Amino acid sequence: MTNKFSDSFEKKLEDTTKLGLEVVRESAEENLMTLSVGPQHPGSGHFRFIIKVDGDYIVYCDPDPGYVHRGEEKMCEYRNFIQNIPHLERPVIHDSTHITYSYSLAVEELLGIEVPRRGQFIRAIASELNRQVYTLYWLAIYGIFLGHSTMFMWPAGDRELFIDLLAALTGARVTHAFNIPGGVRNDIPDGFKEKCLQYVSYFEKRLKEYEDIFYNNPLFRQRTENVGILSKENAIKLGVTGSVLRASGIPYDVRKVEPYDVYDEIDFKVQYMKTCDSFARAYVPFLDMRESCNIIRQLLEKMPGSGEVRVKLQSNPKGRIGEAYKRVESGRGALSYYIVSDGSSRPYRVKISVGSFRNILALPHLLVGSKLGDMPSIYWALNYWPVEADR
Amino acid sequence: MATAPKDFRFGNFVGSLVWLIFWVIVIVSLVGLPLIFIILFYVPLPYSNGEVLTPYLFFSMIVDPTRTIPIINFLIHTDIFRAAVFPGFTFAALIAAATIFIERKFLAKMQLRTGPLYAGKFEGILQLMADGLKLISKEIIAPSGADKPIFWSSPIIYVATAASLTALIPVAPGWVVADLDVGLLAIFAILGFFPLIALLFSWSSNSKYPFIGGLRALHQMIAFEIPFILSALSVVLVAGSLNLTDIVESQYAFWFFAIAPISAFVFYISSLAELERVPFDLPEAESEIVAGWLTETSGMIYGLIQLGTYLKLYVLAALFVILFLGGWMGPQIFPQELIPNYTGEKIYNATVVNGIFWFTIKTFGMIMLILLPRGINPRIRIDILLHTGWYKLIVLSFINMFIVLALIYGGVITPAGGLQ
Amino acid sequence: MSSSIIKKASTATGFIKAIESGSKHLLIKRFTLRFPEQKLKFVGDGYQFDPKRGVGIAGSRGRHILFHEKCTGCQLCAITCEGIAEAIEMVKVNEKWKQNKKSIMPQIDYGKCVFCGLCVDACPFYALYMTNDFELSSFTKEHLIYTPAQLAVKPKYDGTVEIKIDERGASHG
Repeated sequence: MTNKFSDSFEKKLEDTTKLGLEVVRESAEENLMTLSVGPQHPGSGHFRFIIKVDGDYIVYCDPDPGYVHRGEEKMCEYRNFIQNIPHLERPVIHDSTHITYSYSLAVEELLGIEVPRRGQFIRAIASELNRQVYTLYWLAIYGIFLGHSTMFMWPAGDRELFIDLLAALTGARVTHAFNIPGGVRNDIPDGFKEKCLQYVSYFEKRLKEYEDIFYNNPLFRQRTENVGILSKENAIKLGVTGSVLRASGIPYDVRKVEPYDVYDEIDFKVQYMKTCDSFARAYVPFLDMRESCNIIRQLLEKMPGSGEVRVKLQSNPKGRIGEAYKRVESGRGALSYYIVSDGSSRPYRVKISVGSFRNILALPHLLVGSKLGDMPSIYWALNYWPVEADR
Repeated sequence: MATAPKDFRFGNFVGSLVWLIFWVIVIVSLVGLPLIFIILFYVPLPYSNGEVLTPYLFFSMIVDPTRTIPIINFLIHTDIFRAAVFPGFTFAALIAAATIFIERKFLAKMQLRTGPLYAGKFEGILQLMADGLKLISKEIIAPSGADKPIFWSSPIIYVATAASLTALIPVAPGWVVADLDVGLLAIFAILGFFPLIALLFSWSSNSKYPFIGGLRALHQMIAFEIPFILSALSVVLVAGSLNLTDIVESQYAFWFFAIAPISAFVFYISSLAELERVPFDLPEAESEIVAGWLTETSGMIYGLIQLGTYLKLYVLAALFVILFLGGWMGPQIFPQELIPNYTGEKIYNATVVNGIFWFTIKTFGMIMLILLPRGINPRIRIDILLHTGWYKLIVLSFINMFIVLALIYGGVITPAGGLQ
Repeated sequence: MSSSIIKKASTATGFIKAIESGSKHLLIKRFTLRFPEQKLKFVGDGYQFDPKRGVGIAGSRGRHILFHEKCTGCQLCAITCEGIAEAIEMVKVNEKWKQNKKSIMPQIDYGKCVFCGLCVDACPFYALYMTNDFELSSFTKEHLIYTPAQLAVKPKYDGTVEIKIDERGASHG
């Protein structure tokens, strides 16, 4: 068997073009180097983007998602409304409550049921705890992308507190399958409320340490301030969402604009910053985490002491003929579901619209013209989760 | 892969042991013994007390302490002992190994985790040995288009250069492998090789990411060599000589850190940049350029390069101690006579042991200070790094040089150290 | 708080505060859970479902436990799992129970199960619960298929470690 590496260059070129694949060649006149920050790269996740570099400056960027496409939307058409939950939570498994929350809201509208009040509160509590888990994970990866190994370990450790709470509440550490059309699957266990308040107050003290060692560290500031400026008009034009939008000076949060469930009874402020640079995009989730602690406390106080948590449904509920559209604020931005039902027990068409896929449109706009050293801080600050964008 | 393990059969086990013993006997008798005879034929045996030191005499002398002490004395003062064991390669390698372990545990404690824990009975103390065994057993993959001679020889050159630096560090009065009159300049000259080796290795890897990493290493190391030399010059102005032993001896009255703190700071930052440690570990930035110029290393090549890096760490920490912290100077805490009744040749010299003790303590303190920024800072960007290296640090080291000159001409300090 | 203006401290104080914050952590207890020696304590016996009230009882979702004296062989768990992981298959058993006319009981393949617990929700007879046991690794794929007799065994789990928070920090212990 001949060794592939001993084939001549012309033969390799011919084989590649016969397969219909694009051949990326460096041209001598252009003086650019093509780098594939590809799936086999510690700084990219399950995602690839091709950049052309002129010395230290990036002149071209082409994001190439699609490595983790698993056909979530198509799979929904072959399972009934309740069987859809375990596979729908997989696209963004560490923030799974939100992607099932939006689905449950849309299905409840199709089935015409209303979740009892205590169930709504428990859903909101799980959702906020999951938001903390996701943001801490994002912060940990942001730290390691910038070379700060301590900022990788501390959030990953503090995340264990919230995962412990969620494991006590839902039964599993990460794969919760907790939200279900009709409510939540079980009531809160004993001792949960005290444990939750204790962990949340301990966590707020930890947030001060994060500020000291990371956000106020002059080296971090030098690397992220005035880097990747996304002006307000461009943010609206490109259609970004979530913390990226809030870091460009627009106070938009789905929980305030279209409150769902019990969010209209909770008093919290939308965190935003006006500086539009990468530092703002790194700081807004941190402020969100602080605000989330307040929200959890209010939810625990205001929760009714007893009540149903789930609507008892038939075993194979049939939806009414029609469509439903619901939006939720997940860790990355607005996550919405558009479900069309034709009267049977399976949805006819499910369309998931995630924040990650919309935020990635800003990546070529921000990377072109910036330095190669700014690539991790710009890329990860866009709050992009590749698996969710591919669904 | 779920495979059931094969059942243990005692006969097979005994058979494998016998096979092993067979091969050991074959190799020793066919290769080992002739080698020993050839060495004994050509190498002249040393003399001791007028007798030729044959191996038989040697074995009989080991038992008697009055006859072993002169042998040990003789061996300790040979050149090969100094270069290979102390204060040369083995001493430095042991400190490097201890540094790697301390670094992992220190960072782990700062990050609220345990670090290596299971290799060895006590808190993972044998982790380094386990890592070494792992690296030796891995396959070294050379890329297909790589420039093979340079690719295979660069790591060895790297380790050799790093180890040759340890030959210039004086550990105790009279204990240095190579006592050059221009010792400090020799260290800077050898340090100037490292950018070249990094570039050679990254170029011969024939891949894009090592290329970028190698260029970054080149820019970084060259940019910081100048503040490095300038900050050491302040010390030379006071001490009046480039010989490292003389520099330490001239700190008898006060440590040079007291008059040159800014230079010490500049030296510290420059040595962080020379060692490619966080916050200056751009040539190895994992999230931007995979692993920089170390991308194509695997197996023992990676092990050799890590060994070279930690040897360099020891050398630069020891250099800081020698230049600014008084070298081996310290209060004498070892008694002059260890065994009061013993008469005869001694191998215990109280000043030397005292010097070694203080030198080791100060070097470890300095090493901890070099390890600290890894737990605290993120990585810096290349343009900020070059700006700092070429502008700010050179200015700071000049400021301190003027301060030192003013103190000398003002009459506060005599030109060879010591107060007026 | 709308747009927050963060006061940028000077470079020196920024570094000193960072060093202080990092060094403070040398005195805080380590957070790691040393897994095989220390195991986490789970509250309760495992995830259970009450079909009369239609709601679950909070618990950890590990291996299943099948109560042979209650299972009627209705196949609802297998039908539910068909759309999720196809891990439950009904097999014929040699036992004769009054309520189980067809003598079939579920067999669960843990190579495929995703531990979602919807089969527990589906069972109308209180026969299938989940337990705390999650250490299910084996050397062959066939050993992962648990027969109804294996599923009837109640596991022994003795985890005692939980997160404790005191003035010196949080730790598992």
